[in-house]
Amino acid sequence: MERMRKIKRQLSLTLTRDRAGGGGRTQSDTNNQEVASHSDSEVSLHSSGGLNGRPSSSLQTLLQSYRKPRLGRSLSSYLNHANRLEIVHEDVKMSSDGESDAASSSDDVQSPVRVRLRNKKVSTEDINKRLSLPADIRLPDDYLEKFNLIGPSLFEQPISRQLRRVSLSEIGFGKLETYVKLDKLGEGTYATVYKGRSKLTENLVALKEIRLEHEEGAPCTAIREVSLLKDLKHANIVTLHDIIHTQKSLTLVFEYLDKDLKQYLDDCGNTIHVHNVKLFLFQLLRGLSYCHRRKVLHRDLKPQNLLINERGELKLADFGLARAKSIPTKTYSNEVVTLWYRPPDILLGSTDYSTHIDMWGVGCIFYEMATGRPLFPGSTVEEELHFIFKLLGTPSEHTWPGICSNDEFVAYKYPQYRADTLSHHTPRLSIEGVDLLSKFLKFEGRKRISADDALQHYYFKVFGSRVMSLPDTASIFSLPGIHLEKETLRKTTEPANSPNRRRTFFLHHQGLGSSELT
Amino acid sequence: MEAPSSHLSARGAPRWLLSGRRSSSSAGTECDTGRDMKTHFRVCRFIMEIGVKLGMRSVPVATACVLYHRFFERVNLAEYEPYLVAMSCVYLAGKVEEQHIRTRDIINVSHRYFNSGGAPLECDKEFWDLRDSVVQCEILILRQLSFQVSFEHPHKYLLHYMLSAKSLVNRHAWSRTPVTETSWALLRDCYHGSMCIRHSAQHIAIAMLYLALNSYGVELPVGEKPWWQVLCDDVTKEDIDAVITELLQLYDMEAKCI
Repeated sequence: MERMRKIKRQLSLTLTRDRAGGGGRTQSDTNNQEVASHSDSEVSLHSSGGLNGRPSSSLQTLLQSYRKPRLGRSLSSYLNHANRLEIVHEDVKMSSDGESDAASSSDDVQSPVRVRLRNKKVSTEDINKRLSLPADIRLPDDYLEKFNLIGPSLFEQPISRQLRRVSLSEIGFGKLETYVKLDKLGEGTYATVYKGRSKLTENLVALKEIRLEHEEGAPCTAIREVSLLKDLKHANIVTLHDIIHTQKSLTLVFEYLDKDLKQYLDDCGNTIHVHNVKLFLFQLLRGLSYCHRRKVLHRDLKPQNLLINERGELKLADFGLARAKSIPTKTYSNEVVTLWYRPPDILLGSTDYSTHIDMWGVGCIFYEMATGRPLFPGSTVEEELHFIFKLLGTPSEHTWPGICSNDEFVAYKYPQYRADTLSHHTPRLSIEGVDLLSKFLKFEGRKRISADDALQHYYFKVFGSRVMSLPDTASIFSLPGIHLEKETLRKTTEPANSPNRRRTFFLHHQGLGSSELT
Repeated sequence: MEAPSSHLSARGAPRWLLSGRRSSSSAGTECDTGRDMKTHFRVCRFIMEIGVKLGMRSVPVATACVLYHRFFERVNLAEYEPYLVAMSCVYLAGKVEEQHIRTRDIINVSHRYFNSGGAPLECDKEFWDLRDSVVQCEILILRQLSFQVSFEHPHKYLLHYMLSAKSLVNRHAWSRTPVTETSWALLRDCYHGSMCIRHSAQHIAIAMLYLALNSYGVELPVGEKPWWQVLCDDVTKEDIDAVITELLQLYDMEAKCI
């Protein structure tokens, strides 16, 4: 009993918080400068503390005595006094800002560590291997020279995260001048997207420039997109190559893909080769299965968010509305998926989101690829549901248990439609295809087929069993026998490349509920 | 590029924000970490209090605290104004957890926290500078944490474990004792220190339930394995003890901080 009382008293910590912070309120004017000390170079300097918890205390005090103003120049002199070259080495490298901006570019920082210079020359391949860079990267000549100066000793010890980051920065990652802006692809409220070229790889990239002068700071869609994409590495998910911070903007560097599925449809006169439909659907499901395994929902699937390159590789893009899903009991804000691809349970007010929210959209996209027409092109919730019920039949307590107690459904008073036969609408689909389509288009979320199960469906039998054991980052086109069929190009009346239609996927930074940008 | 944090300068910060900072010439180390812990304790209490006043749910408040601890895990406390960082953490947590909170509200509530009973904050240059600072500091946090800002919290696990435990215990014994409320309160208190980022979500949840059950003498039926291992197979008694010890240290510190 005494013990319980003690615990209770301790708990009062939480309850009697109204007097909190008394001690912390003492104001002191002497410390004004303290607050002022933020700068890029400091960010990088102090992040070295995260290396192994904290740097040794003596080192820390040493570093503190070298404050911001003289940092760049004084480091090498400071180094001469330090005995522990290995540790210091890493801290020095941190003085060139780890990840970004142009001004603090590190070229003028002299590397003070010239010890143990060996005869071994450092080649580009060595460095690429060391930093896990793409094999096609072209390192600047002076960078290679610098590495040879530092000496191969660098290659003998495990590389630290900080060191890698700095090395990447010296190569040119995180710097705006590494990328050449080409055409503008589109513009939205928060973001502008440019086609660009990386000077490092000569590859095309998509530069998504997010303006920060907006009073609300970094848009939450951008924060979510970056935090998710950093963890998603898959052949069917768009790769985020680099992030560039500047004073006024945040630029995300994505891999460049030629077109989105909407354009692809337009360019082939809305008739995609049936074999390619299968290839695209399989890749869509592969990417989605990977996301769902990681408990990430996309929440905004539509043809504009699926990018396709010349090889026929399809990749999921625009994770601005996606987020890490934790437990299914959690509810999210109601308005997230573009109306045409939004499942009926969500349209009727369900906030119990789970992976099946994405599977309805897969069905709609599958239909659109097979027929060239959107399946349910409603412009209001009521019309959207009307389209759905006209094809699949108005639900009853029998076909959708619990539906009759849904107030919204009852209030709409839909006529009693009977379910139409799906195959009448999809003449180009095989029986297997129609069967799979019907499994996506289930009223109740939990009855929809999962991405994983859909991959096993016999519609995909022709791909053989080896596609199922591919590593995550391998493209299905790496397997012999799998290739894209040539599309018969048909000229449509409207110009296919009108800039307004391009890349709507990049521009969704208006926040929730405003995703109808089609 | 200019330093992104030029807005974080003293000219933008009102006097109430420059509270109780120690001088820059910090010497000792042992003493330092103790003092840092106390500062973090107070600032986290500040986060929780303004969180309540802003109507934030438990998980966004927890996210704000984790952001705060992860930030100061990487940087030196002497270099940054912790209360400003805390305000930005609250702001960022709102975005991450989809409970968006306006900077204006955060600033007003923080002002009230430091000047209870005082005049409301004028909407003058100081206010706008401060708002810029909060927004700039948010970018700084994002950069420091390399955009890794979504975390797994013990809350959902605690809920699951609690439901399982409840089904094993005599219904009356359960309703007589406030195990639920206690473990929830204990969990909230964990966020006062960096222990919340040093233990796994499951382990913290188990330890909170363990402590609450033991405090009220509620016993779970004995089986082949101890109950905590049934609920979470990788947790050991040592893990539980480690979490509880750290929590009790936080309670000890409470006395010294107020």
